[in-house]
Amino acid sequence: MTNLFGAYILTTAKFLSIFGSVLYSIFAFVVVRQVTLMCKNVYDKFNSILITFSYIHFFTALLLIPLTLIFL
Amino acid sequence: MPRTKDLDTVAPDDLISASPRKPNKPKRSHPQGGKPKKQTSKSADQQYRQKVYKLIGHTKHPLSSFLARPKVFDFDDRDGEEEIILVLRRHWFTNLNWILVFTLMLIFPSFLDFVPLLESFPPRYNLLFVIFWYLISFAVAFENFLSWYFNVFIVTEERVVDIDFNNLLNKEISDAKISMIQDVTYTVTGVSQTIFNYGDVFIQTAAEIPVIEISQIPNPNTVAKILQQMRLEEEQEALEGRIK
Repeated sequence: MTNLFGAYILTTAKFLSIFGSVLYSIFAFVVVRQVTLMCKNVYDKFNSILITFSYIHFFTALLLIPLTLIFL
Repeated sequence: MPRTKDLDTVAPDDLISASPRKPNKPKRSHPQGGKPKKQTSKSADQQYRQKVYKLIGHTKHPLSSFLARPKVFDFDDRDGEEEIILVLRRHWFTNLNWILVFTLMLIFPSFLDFVPLLESFPPRYNLLFVIFWYLISFAVAFENFLSWYFNVFIVTEERVVDIDFNNLLNKEISDAKISMIQDVTYTVTGVSQTIFNYGDVFIQTAAEIPVIEISQIPNPNTVAKILQQMRLEEEQEALEGRIK
């Protein structure tokens, strides 16, 4: 493994993963905001479920940041 | 041939029967003057509305693409007493593409063992990659579902409203009064549209937005008929001076 990638490549992969997970968390937050706005515009039976899903998605994305820091 | 003498009610070239005209029965006076006329006009309105209700039928599933007179549904700038007659979303068949993509994305991590390059990474890298991959897969499916769920076309008793969220950051709402609708056309093209009975409806209006296009909605012919009935109802109301 070390022959093929080396410590330098693994470190690059780690930083890229952290950067990616932070970016993804921002995206997940935008999704939460947008779902909330959509639900204000159009109200239907499943709105609360969709908002819940968007929050679960956001918190999972947030959880990915410490996971990346710990695992890699 | 004798011609009618009542030029206000009969066109000049209309023929009348040669039989002697029966004397008009004296009209019954109504205690509340003018009420019978109003009842007639209301019943004409109700007839149009009943035809509309008959055309739209009933919807059993709340996630249907064709929601007839929904009880729970509401939208932002609805007037308090404005009745929602129909809510349309894209036909379910149009979701098949992203459902297939989502399914493929779900099963993709199981093929990672066959990629020799990834074997050289430590297992914890692979685990994080799989978690990240499933998050992205969920986001793809969720965004597509949101796009289907919130892009709605609404027919109320007074107007048509088209709410489009083109992507997560772009919102477009257009509406037109039913009295402003000039023409409604629809197209059903292609094999899938013909089989599953869905298509595009184009509403030409005299409002600021000349054409409202509703894409890939179920039963486009029924929608066109409903809008036609609604227009007739509005014309009736306009004739009676009851337009809002």
